[in-house]
Amino acid sequence: MIKGYAGRILEVDLSTRTHKFVPLDEDTARLYIGGKGYGTRLLYDRTEAGVDALGPDNPLIFATGPLNGSVAPQSNRFAVVTKSPLTGGIGNAACGGSFAYGMKRAGLDVLVVTGRADRPVRIEVDGDRDEVQILDAMDLWGKGTYETQTLLPKRYEHAVIGPAGENEVLYAGIVSNERIAGRSGVGAVMGSKKLKAISVIGKRKLEMDDPEAFREYTKTVRKLFEEHPVMGESLKRFGTGAIVNTTNGRNILPTRNFKHGHHPDAMKLSGEYMEDHELVGVKTSCLHCPVTCGRDVEIEGKGRVKGPEYETLALMGSNLEITDLKNVNEWNYLADDLGMDTISLGATLGFAMELDEKGMLDAKLAFGDPAGVSEMIQDIGHRRGLGADLADGVKRVSEKYGGKDFAIHVKGMEMSAYDPRGSYAQGVEYATTNRGGCHVQGASMYMESTGPLTINPMNLKLKADIPVVQQNLACAINSMVLCIFTTYGMIPKQVHEMNPNSMTYKIITTLFENSGPLMRKAMGMKGKPMMWFEKWLTFITGQTFSSGHLQEIGERIFNLERMFNMREGMTAADDTLPPRILNEPTFYGMASGHPLGQLLPKYYKNRGWDAGGVPTKKTLDRLGLSA
Amino acid sequence: MAVTIELTYEMTKAFGEQRFDVEVVPTVADAVKVAEQRLGEKGIQFDELARVAAVAVNGVLVNHRKGMKTKLRDGDTVTFVKAAAGG
Repeated sequence: MIKGYAGRILEVDLSTRTHKFVPLDEDTARLYIGGKGYGTRLLYDRTEAGVDALGPDNPLIFATGPLNGSVAPQSNRFAVVTKSPLTGGIGNAACGGSFAYGMKRAGLDVLVVTGRADRPVRIEVDGDRDEVQILDAMDLWGKGTYETQTLLPKRYEHAVIGPAGENEVLYAGIVSNERIAGRSGVGAVMGSKKLKAISVIGKRKLEMDDPEAFREYTKTVRKLFEEHPVMGESLKRFGTGAIVNTTNGRNILPTRNFKHGHHPDAMKLSGEYMEDHELVGVKTSCLHCPVTCGRDVEIEGKGRVKGPEYETLALMGSNLEITDLKNVNEWNYLADDLGMDTISLGATLGFAMELDEKGMLDAKLAFGDPAGVSEMIQDIGHRRGLGADLADGVKRVSEKYGGKDFAIHVKGMEMSAYDPRGSYAQGVEYATTNRGGCHVQGASMYMESTGPLTINPMNLKLKADIPVVQQNLACAINSMVLCIFTTYGMIPKQVHEMNPNSMTYKIITTLFENSGPLMRKAMGMKGKPMMWFEKWLTFITGQTFSSGHLQEIGERIFNLERMFNMREGMTAADDTLPPRILNEPTFYGMASGHPLGQLLPKYYKNRGWDAGGVPTKKTLDRLGLSA
Repeated sequence: MAVTIELTYEMTKAFGEQRFDVEVVPTVADAVKVAEQRLGEKGIQFDELARVAAVAVNGVLVNHRKGMKTKLRDGDTVTFVKAAAGG
């Protein structure tokens, strides 16, 4: 077995209450690394078109990669892959916490859950004894994610769902510690299987090809991270809430259901404001991570709890025209405890508020008014009253109540917190990302809006190139499995120290802006490992990973996801943005919406797809994806 | 006929207000001077706080326009924005 892998997959069938260990396929590991990549391959091979996302035949796949189980910073993440009940296409989500570490220690690269139990159950795996138990979980059913984890056996690492998953809220997530695999409705799939929790334990050590080199190099990287302006300072000091003031200043902070990109009081939602007024502590949250982006706040009746991160501050703050952090803190806690994705939740609440305002729905919710929001979040999590409709997400609510012009979703997934009208590459990424409107499948906005060296976000240059390399890289990162924040370290400290108003800055960004094909070619070059994650993979597995290798693997994964979606009936027509984003200017001086129609043909070409967005035979042959 | 000037969090903390309107001035450089003057009146070291801030007009960094020579119109917002945050 290649080093870095436990070498086995655990398959559990809840219908028959049986399990088996099968060997990890080395060829698949070489082609897809692990995590999201390996999971996508399994999902594609094991399902047929039209499989019911909430039925017993939809596999729920938990997958780790070769970096998991090591002490590499930001490496305690696992991927969950399944067919999404929210979009009907590929579903995946990644999560920090400690479950990935637990899986690897238990000797599991991948855990595949199929079938459906006839009553609530939980799975307990003792990897050292090869012991797998399917245990009754009636006593846990109905409990929140926080309490559930306290009631499960100590020393184990857990992945659990809350009431939202049990009630098949289509954007329910899976929680490990205080982190959540939030997107795609993976928690609803777990709930549909009547599976409340998975607990893993073991003492297996990760075998590496060159442990000494890995250890020494990791010390260097840890120091680099600690001294890095974004990872060691901004995110470490303010958490991801530090992003609020930047996106607000650049008019891309979702406000009033994406009507605007700027809120005059957004500063009160920022990480800086949180530090001055609400912060009661900092938690490392994910094992071995020096960034410590998690914030702790205090809420009435609950004490010290995990605070909201950027997406929650935006979607449940400015997007609802709420700027009192205390409200967002409370709603964030509620959503986490119920086990729900706060991006989709916030977007759905914002949509309901606009429907209400226009007289299309009596939701008793209004922009700028916190009244009724807590109750509605509870109703959604338990599918009560109108909450049962809102539990289905923006797309389905718009199909029932109208308002498609201002329904903010892509492929059925609610869009995250970067308004693409002021961030064109991010718009192309939203439109084409296989799981729907999400930013961590590429994070193109970092190159044009929120990073230290940003090109003009509002012209056409490079906007069809950046998403391609970023999506490929993110596919690889999510297969190792690392946190996407690792990519923010790729821009060195010296660049951060440049005056953003200087001529040097302008020259560099102008050159970058005009580097399209060259940039893609440079990223695609196979050579020696340069970046830390390439070196880590190389030290651990003994195979060589460079930027070019990762681009190729990422491209393979991305295209396989695309093939999954096409098999489910998606077409180029699904590569779009909400009408509001395409047609309405968002701020003073802007003439129109996002110019997606001018960018998509070039994006398809860059991807090696035909004009209809279908991967060509040549592309599939090159990636080894031909039937 | 006014231009709005918005400050960074750190500037706001020191100045006590997040934004203020000024009569339309010809260019971004002029707006920056006005901000420097206003904050200077309160003894705030403007240069220190402005060093790490990009300047944007209506959300677009001036470096993607005509730099400090970018012309201003009635209704424009000049924002000092924290350059890099993450994502």
